[in-house]
Amino acid sequence: MPTGREAGDSMPGDQDTIEGRTSTEVRDEAKSVEFTYRGIFQKTLAANLCKHVVMAARKRDWLGSTIQRYSDSPERNGIPAKQFAVIAPDTETLEGHMAKYEPNELDVITVLDDTMCDGIESWAWYGRQPINVRLRRGGTLLVISNRSAEELLKVIPRKPWDWTLAIVPGTPSMGGLWVYRDDGTDMRVLGAIASARPDIFGFDAISAVVKDDESLDNRYLDALRSGHDEVSVYEVSAGEGKEDDYEPVKLPGWKDMREAIIVEAVKPGERNPHYRSSSDRTMRPVVNFDTCIKCRQCWIDCPDECFEISEEELHPINYSYCTGCGICANVCPVEDCIVMVNDLEFVEEGDKDVFPMWEDDKDAYHEWREEKIARGRIDHQAHFNADTWAK
Amino acid sequence: MEAPGRALKLDPIKSIKKAPAEEFYQSGHRTCQGCLSALPMRLMAKAAGPRTIVLGTTGCMYVANTTYMSTPWVVPWMHTQLGAAGSAAVGTSAGLKALMRKGKMKDEPINVIAFCGDGGGADMGLAAISAALTDIEYNLLIFLYDNESYANTDIQTSGQTPWGAVTTFSPPGKKHRIMQRRWKKNVPGMLAAGHPDTKYIASGTPAIPVDMMDKVRAALSAGGPTYMHVLDPCPKGWHYDPEHSNELGKLAIETGIYPLYEIKDGLCKLTGVTKQIAEGKRQRKPVREYLEKQGRFAHFKNQDYAYFQKKIDEMWEQWLIPGVVAFTYGGPINIAGEEAKIRNRNVVRENASWVGMAGHSHEEFEGVSDEPYEPWRDDNEMDEYPNALPSTGQ
Amino acid sequence: MTITIPSGGVQQTEKLMTGTQAVAQAVRLADVDVMAAYPIRPYDGVMQAVAKLIANGELDAEYIVAEGEHSQFEICKHASAVGSRVFVGSSGVGWMYAMESLAVTPPLRLPVVAMIGNRALDDPGAFGVEHNDAMCVRDLGWQLFWVEDAQECFDATLMAYRVGEDKRVSFPVGLGVDGAFITHSQALVKIPDQKSVDAYLPPYDLGDRLLHPDNPISIAPQANEDWVMEIRKQTDEAARRVKDVIREAHADFRELFGRGGDNPFFEEYRTEDADYVLLGMGSLGLPAKVMVRRLRDKGEKVGFIRLKWFRPFPDVELAETLGRFRAVGVVDRDYSYGSPSQGGVLYTDLRAALYNSEQRPRMVNFIGGLGGRELTPEMMDEMAFITKKAYDGEEVPDVSWIGVRE
Repeated sequence: MPTGREAGDSMPGDQDTIEGRTSTEVRDEAKSVEFTYRGIFQKTLAANLCKHVVMAARKRDWLGSTIQRYSDSPERNGIPAKQFAVIAPDTETLEGHMAKYEPNELDVITVLDDTMCDGIESWAWYGRQPINVRLRRGGTLLVISNRSAEELLKVIPRKPWDWTLAIVPGTPSMGGLWVYRDDGTDMRVLGAIASARPDIFGFDAISAVVKDDESLDNRYLDALRSGHDEVSVYEVSAGEGKEDDYEPVKLPGWKDMREAIIVEAVKPGERNPHYRSSSDRTMRPVVNFDTCIKCRQCWIDCPDECFEISEEELHPINYSYCTGCGICANVCPVEDCIVMVNDLEFVEEGDKDVFPMWEDDKDAYHEWREEKIARGRIDHQAHFNADTWAK
Repeated sequence: MEAPGRALKLDPIKSIKKAPAEEFYQSGHRTCQGCLSALPMRLMAKAAGPRTIVLGTTGCMYVANTTYMSTPWVVPWMHTQLGAAGSAAVGTSAGLKALMRKGKMKDEPINVIAFCGDGGGADMGLAAISAALTDIEYNLLIFLYDNESYANTDIQTSGQTPWGAVTTFSPPGKKHRIMQRRWKKNVPGMLAAGHPDTKYIASGTPAIPVDMMDKVRAALSAGGPTYMHVLDPCPKGWHYDPEHSNELGKLAIETGIYPLYEIKDGLCKLTGVTKQIAEGKRQRKPVREYLEKQGRFAHFKNQDYAYFQKKIDEMWEQWLIPGVVAFTYGGPINIAGEEAKIRNRNVVRENASWVGMAGHSHEEFEGVSDEPYEPWRDDNEMDEYPNALPSTGQ
Repeated sequence: MTITIPSGGVQQTEKLMTGTQAVAQAVRLADVDVMAAYPIRPYDGVMQAVAKLIANGELDAEYIVAEGEHSQFEICKHASAVGSRVFVGSSGVGWMYAMESLAVTPPLRLPVVAMIGNRALDDPGAFGVEHNDAMCVRDLGWQLFWVEDAQECFDATLMAYRVGEDKRVSFPVGLGVDGAFITHSQALVKIPDQKSVDAYLPPYDLGDRLLHPDNPISIAPQANEDWVMEIRKQTDEAARRVKDVIREAHADFRELFGRGGDNPFFEEYRTEDADYVLLGMGSLGLPAKVMVRRLRDKGEKVGFIRLKWFRPFPDVELAETLGRFRAVGVVDRDYSYGSPSQGGVLYTDLRAALYNSEQRPRMVNFIGGLGGRELTPEMMDEMAFITKKAYDGEEVPDVSWIGVRE
């Protein structure tokens, strides 16, 4: 767990920032790059990216190291996780950034699935943390997304200083543990970093690394170039973005904890209050309560116990815990009764239960639902992702 | 007969509509999307109900559930070590029994369930499970959730990993494509064959939830030590899109790879689709249909599919009981009769070499009670055995 | 042993890798014959890396996935008895599960090399770093070395085979590798070529202790009070020889590969004119050095000593060095409930080592970084601050727990 960040501590602010100088201005000190990603699906992608950051920095004789955020492990499908690359001009400076849980501040935070922009809850007690919680003053948040900066800033909290939001067009690249999703996403992201933050590494450096690798052909160099050319950088002013309502967690001390490693059980009818699995979602199920035949398959097959049973025997969903796995949509026998929709379509609704909306006004509900489906319907065909070159 | 300390009597659920609505394992666990090892925890707790104590061994259902000082359990739960499912169950059950018998605790049926993964149960903890299954005085259920790897440590081979599967200990490389060359051990069948006093052993899957819950209830109601083994599709370790978890569970059964059965009071029955396959009402789907949907078999070539298919065909065509007893029988005693018999007491043994000899014929034992000898009863006749002095050990 | 530098010199290539991958590279170059694997974090990355090497044909070895750590270590012990060079490892309670096997291996004088990915012991099942797991075998004859970073993971593995297999010694060697900080972070590591490793590491040769039909012996018949003291005495004599073997191994390593520091047993960082020092093992050396630099910039005369070999404990060498300072702050990334002063293991050992010294510094103990909690440079500052008070003759508690929430 990140340490030294107990309640009462301010969010990492100027502690490690050289006074008055922002991320891009400082040239000769360590730089930290974070890759925030969907656990398991993007694990190899993140590792690949971290490695390349260090190899690119080597081209100017800098040293580097990568860090896995240890408590993320063992990674679970969909649960947001982080890996880091730290680069520095010399051994002593680099040493100061090693043996760490995670870097105190990040020059660049790369988000490999834009549905994480509305916050991430990686384990119990810490709640849903802002995606940019440890961004350094003047730092860059780089997101793979087909959405605009305005849309993303509806969910990304504001900062008291300026920073930049860089967007590489694209859909998230989801793989798995055994077959690497080799679709050029890694190259596009690297090219984008070189364009948006040449102080981390320049385009020539990363091209040289890719050219040195005999297993990578021209497609990879083209992807590198396209990421470099297509990234758009938006200057975010101080105070721009969503309101930052994140409460730093207050963990109990040894005098307050129960002895002998004991915690209270969940009370009947309630759910685990310390950990909500909702930030795992890339997509969420939306139900047509009118075509439901009350077979209960969704309710019984949900590994996260998200379906309630209403008085009419229908199944409202508790979105605070839904992980968006898609099993319900898969087992439901009625076509299009449950449809999976991209989670960023629900910024206004948040995690709230939509069943009362249907109970109140069925027509309005269906209109709302149809619009969501039209904008963000997700259908998965393949059983595990094969290589298809990213667009 | 029942072991002292009554087992909780639970009726079978039989249909989804009749499944109890209450959850005794709740939302808020740090499991993968589509985790079909979490679902059996939920279904098992739902079937067992509130008068239950759960012992959880190290593994995914420990680290991903009672994660970082929080818990999803509504019923009381305690951690135990990786290989300790058997011993945790025995210790808990024995403790409760002693207190109830001595009047130090209210005498009531309490379910004792110890769960373990395939790593902790079928590998490290097999000895303890075996020992527990011989302790007929204690009511307990050992519940093994089989996701076919050491999943919590990011997927390594266990004794339940299918032949050829990729794990971090069995990666395909330039020199060796197939690093995992061990065939999956047959655990429920092995335990049933080796522990004749155990009243209930079953194999199920959360992909067929009501059947799984009914088997849990049958185990808990049977009395004495019992065992259940469930197959859990695992999107992380098997590498597939999480929405297909339920579908793959069903496919494992439809291909005949994973059989559903129960052995209750000495009678073995295949259940569900497995039964239909055995009856000839359904053809087994080719194993390829199941294997090719998972990234852990992405490196398979035709020869690998062929080998896998051959092994499954062998299981169905040559095993004494497909999926359960892994060898054929070569005589000399013919097992006669077409109806399945309870504990073979009524089986006529033709050609048995001892027919007619004193002390070996079944007829000799007529009039002797069928109840097993109960050493805990007050009226046991130690006088009859004057030479059986208590041993002082070595 | 006389080292012959290969013609053409020593070639080293640099690669980014984790501590466990670095150990795997050393295992490859040492041409290990048999390995047994069993999953537990954070050590098992090494077994994953080795599996890959075998799959790709880069290493020819038997690789067995055991069904538990007891079996895992027994497999390796017996492979060693028939002459195979072996590699094994574990973490936390996994290491505990192997305990019976760990106890019997040193009296059999079999040079098993094990990597311990230091991990907190259950309960709770935390998988972050604590040193207690490896320390549990400190009385039994295991030689124990703690590494600071991925490069040292590689170097120490080669040294472990060299020291352990030396006929004057023939003991198992354990490498303490901090979980997460070293096992799971990648750093740039220099890997030498096969020829130079062959020059450093002679083949494993059990001589007349080899279990083989051509050498009819019975190993470890049962024996009791008439024999055990003599057997233990022989083991004790061998344990006393380890330090000299380490000195040789270290000198040869430096000559071939240019690494290892001046002192085989510990590293001294800016201690030349220090008034007081901190002392500890493992990756905490990194934040400790950051602290030393920062405080030195402010005019404080503080230094840091990083202990490498914990067994054999370099008592004479440390007593001599520590006599130069008026105060020592010992950092224990472990605990020892009910021990003298309720101090950590390293602190207790060090106090015993200094008992007879003429020049005895004031000693204070810090317990921190348990269960994987980070030891930050700021916490090191706090420890230096308290140690300085001891240096100034002020009253300070013997043992302070650093970084625990009240």
